[in-house]
Amino acid sequence: MNRNRSFSAGNAAIGTILVIFAFLTFMPFYYVILTSISEPHLIKEGELLLWPKGFDLTAYRIILNNDRFLDAFANTVLRTVLGLTVNLSLQLSFAYALSKPYLPGRKFFMICIIITMLFNGGIVPTYLIVKGTGLIDTIWALVIPSAISTWNVILLRSFFENIPVDLEESAKIDGANDLTIFIRIYLPLSLASVATIGLFVAVHHWNTYMDAVIYINSANLQVLQTFLRDMVVQLEMASILGDMGILNETTSLSVRTASIFLVALPIIVVYPFIQRYFIKGVMLGAVKG
Amino acid sequence: MGEPDVRAYAYNESKTGWEEIGVVWIRNVVKYRYLYLLLLPGLVWYFIYKYLPMYGLIIAFKDYSFSKGIWHSPWAGFKHFEFLFSYPDFYRIVKNTLIINVYELVFSFPAPIILALLLNELKNMVFKRSIQTIVYFPHFLSWVVFGGIVIQLLSPNDGLINQLRELLGLEPVHYMVKSEYFRPIVIASLILKETGWGAIIYLAALAAIDPEQYEAATIDGANRWQKLRYVTLPGIRNTIVLLLILKIGNMLDYGFEQIYVLYNPSVYDVGDVLSTYIYRVGLQGAKFSLTAAIGLFQSAIGFLLIWSANRIAKRYSDVSLW
Repeated sequence: MNRNRSFSAGNAAIGTILVIFAFLTFMPFYYVILTSISEPHLIKEGELLLWPKGFDLTAYRIILNNDRFLDAFANTVLRTVLGLTVNLSLQLSFAYALSKPYLPGRKFFMICIIITMLFNGGIVPTYLIVKGTGLIDTIWALVIPSAISTWNVILLRSFFENIPVDLEESAKIDGANDLTIFIRIYLPLSLASVATIGLFVAVHHWNTYMDAVIYINSANLQVLQTFLRDMVVQLEMASILGDMGILNETTSLSVRTASIFLVALPIIVVYPFIQRYFIKGVMLGAVKG
Repeated sequence: MGEPDVRAYAYNESKTGWEEIGVVWIRNVVKYRYLYLLLLPGLVWYFIYKYLPMYGLIIAFKDYSFSKGIWHSPWAGFKHFEFLFSYPDFYRIVKNTLIINVYELVFSFPAPIILALLLNELKNMVFKRSIQTIVYFPHFLSWVVFGGIVIQLLSPNDGLINQLRELLGLEPVHYMVKSEYFRPIVIASLILKETGWGAIIYLAALAAIDPEQYEAATIDGANRWQKLRYVTLPGIRNTIVLLLILKIGNMLDYGFEQIYVLYNPSVYDVGDVLSTYIYRVGLQGAKFSLTAAIGLFQSAIGFLLIWSANRIAKRYSDVSLW
């Protein structure tokens, strides 16, 4: 349906509201970026920044040379990779088995896992179990306790259920066992959905920090997000109290904003490519769920 | 009796006694051994990390101590619950959690709906895509990054907002440590971060509305607002209700990650919610039993909430979770 007037007062109002909202969403981020690359001493005098003043990457140099940052970065990469692997293998195999309608006990297992969506043990008892299984203060505490999401299992199960059964039947006639069928037939066919879920999982691992806060105590095992939080909150408080150590007030601003940008950077880089997949993933979730 | 067909549920088959059932079960496990093999790691995981913690909730009824472990810690009955219900701090955190949730429902829940409605009106695809790309983005940032940006923006020395104030001749305000600003900051940052992404589901629902309805409305002479009221909103009503139920069910879990980044001791009185309190007092302060009791409270009420919301939804609309 084509409108005859492509421009009306109503449309103008709608467009304006949207632009304002997009601006508000984007602007804080833009501000942080340009603060991080500006020369520190030009910022201080309470001037308003719309463009970077000067060009100074010292803040970035400081951070990239910082041991804690590098450790945190490595840890985060490690947990994301490990987390993705463990998560996908567990969820895929579990969902596949559950997708077979003839599996004895299937309903029972489904009820068991759905219960966990409605009711769970809570932070403290889970912590005690994690401690009991010896995971505290290891990278595995960030990988295993969150390995399976019932929602994802249900989603994956639907994908598998939608693959035509004839494929399996003909493979069985050829003598293949369930494992081979799973790995050689079903997995390659679900690659697109697996990739989408994988992306969600990866981004989640990169961004999450509650589990690191709860389960990790040693500083050198920390992840990027906790590192960043300490930086931003501590430095912020310290700069207000005027107690700075090596960094003076103005540099601390650059360091803070630079670290924010660095931690966000991988996501920024990946975002244009993955945006499509995420949207598809959400739609699929909504329809199947 | 012939060979039972194991393509049906085994435990329905055998009616002649336990021995028969056992044999059937073993036969099934062997027959489907690869499938059960694939199932096994997941089952073990669920048992250890989902069901054992549920069992661990019993420490809410005990006086848990590290050295004695879950099993051997002495029983304490309802002592912790009695304590909680007479402890003013507890009411404060519950109140904080509820208030923030109400704010969220009132301000943040409608926002993606409005955004989706606005986006839906756009005919210019390029403009629409660009806006979408921009507003979806903050969802992908962590709360540490986004919260850090917010903190930076509101910083008294060098934050943008205060610089604007100085330009206008006003005194800088340290927003982050003032209790009266905390909740608005939480909600505003939530809106900026999540509205864009939340709109996706509504956009999908809007796209599913039959265009013929709109045409019929145009023929009947409906203007934009009338179409909204009589075609659009009813069309997405089910989606809204479903998401509302889910949101209500999650109320008591409100965002540890967001609050933990944004809060500080000066705003504990309004900012402390159940999850942050449990972490701080329970894990850092080693008050395990007490906070396990809070956690149990949280889970129980959460379940009650989602159950009631579901019933109300069943009564007043045609969609519900179960």
